[in-house]
Amino acid sequence: MSGKTSILIYDLGGCEGCPLSIMRSYPRLARIYDVHAKCIGNADIERQYNYAIITGPICLNSQRHIEELKKIRKNSKILIAYGSCASVGGIILYARGGQEPRPDHRVYAPISKIVRVDFSIPGCPPAPQMLISLLGCIRSGRGYFLDLFKAVSAYSKLSGFDLMDEVVLTGICVGCGACVLSCPTNALHMVDGRPDLIVEKCIRCGTCTVRCPRFTQILIQRYKLRERAKMLASLVGGE
Amino acid sequence: MAFQPATIDPSNPLGPYIGAYIARSTAKNVKAGGGGAVTAILLYLLDKKKIDGVVAAKKTRGIKGEIVLAKTREEILMAAGNRWSIVPYTMRLKETLMSTDIRRVAFVGLPCQAQFLRQMKMFPLMEGDFADKIFVIISLFCMGTFAVESFTDYLARNYNVPLEEVENIDIEGDYLVIFYSGKKLRLPIESIIYHVQHGCILCPDYTGVFADISAGRASREGYTLILTRNRLADSIVNNAAYDGYLEISEATEEEIRYAREKALDKLNRSLKYIMRIL
Repeated sequence: MSGKTSILIYDLGGCEGCPLSIMRSYPRLARIYDVHAKCIGNADIERQYNYAIITGPICLNSQRHIEELKKIRKNSKILIAYGSCASVGGIILYARGGQEPRPDHRVYAPISKIVRVDFSIPGCPPAPQMLISLLGCIRSGRGYFLDLFKAVSAYSKLSGFDLMDEVVLTGICVGCGACVLSCPTNALHMVDGRPDLIVEKCIRCGTCTVRCPRFTQILIQRYKLRERAKMLASLVGGE
Repeated sequence: MAFQPATIDPSNPLGPYIGAYIARSTAKNVKAGGGGAVTAILLYLLDKKKIDGVVAAKKTRGIKGEIVLAKTREEILMAAGNRWSIVPYTMRLKETLMSTDIRRVAFVGLPCQAQFLRQMKMFPLMEGDFADKIFVIISLFCMGTFAVESFTDYLARNYNVPLEEVENIDIEGDYLVIFYSGKKLRLPIESIIYHVQHGCILCPDYTGVFADISAGRASREGYTLILTRNRLADSIVNNAAYDGYLEISEATEEEIRYAREKALDKLNRSLKYIMRIL
């Protein structure tokens, strides 16, 4: 047990789609890693982990959850926001209160609003294979897609709306069709060789944005600029 | 572990590769841009039953095209040739790949499409991702695609070239040559750069660093430069040559430098323009 890399899988709430997806990869995951999760009965947020995988959005009204999240951040080397709600907000951004148990859009947020996140994986939910290949890639080092998922962690919202604003309406879309094929709800369709968003169908999962060749480029370049700005700021002593 | 390149950087604009070859098809009836090596590789894969079909773009009318699944030799030969506009992969690709009689296909496309499929293969973000049926991703070298309406309009207005009659477009040195109704029109490349899609001007990827095999025009007339990026791809190319579909020789330094220069051109163009839209 002790030789293996330890992983904590922790759910903060939501529809349970992401935990179910991860659960399907447990048999393979457990062969490679020392897995700790609530459903196995060994989740202990007091000990140290190499990786922590968080699913679900954070409820800003819940003191307990926020403290748990902060503790997990402190105790883990790499924190991964897994799934759309944890990484870019997802459908939970639409919650406007009123329905039982009265969720409110000011109350739920992606976890990057509270803690620093190393990798953000959009997807509603990401397929089981995703986690295994992601952890493998993190272990083997750097790569274009790792840079991309790192860049996504700087965002607290990514959706079909952003795709339309930044790529299609600015005219840099080349019409490859990647976004249309990525959309889980068929919210994007091709009109005259360019994607168009059916707004009622978009669940803000962000899959289209990380699949778009142009948007990924923009995300990564912006992240690099941000890092450089941060470095400059730290040089002059600010935060 | 699946193959994943690092970010494309100026020190290595061709991306990582393990083999570089100059190749051409041994068959005489292959009409394609360069040496027809990609067509030869596809015919080899199909004949040896490694794949059930090929997903590629086929020219329909003028410079427009549509996506097809080629299952026979004839269909592959029909889809060969240069492509001058991007062909969107609408839901038909998904339907084709999801059908049960297809087990493995080869995909031929552009660098941007190779990136998307590689990502789908490595990091399936959705339960419905269908990329595992794609056996090998082949990317063609790409300098950018035309904004179709703008370009055809320009041709029709200034040179009286009707869209329906454009048969083929080719590059000769710094000129773009348009073949239409038996005639030839030579245009300097600088004059038509405005009709390349904006997104393509931002794209840093000339060879398709996310593909298994990248192929495109070599500086030697009538030959194709092939870059293989992993062992599977390398064995495909070598076996195709061994079985007589392809004649290959190691690419010379000069050939690689030629491709590198073009790749650097595209990369520099991209870096110059992307700063304006961040």
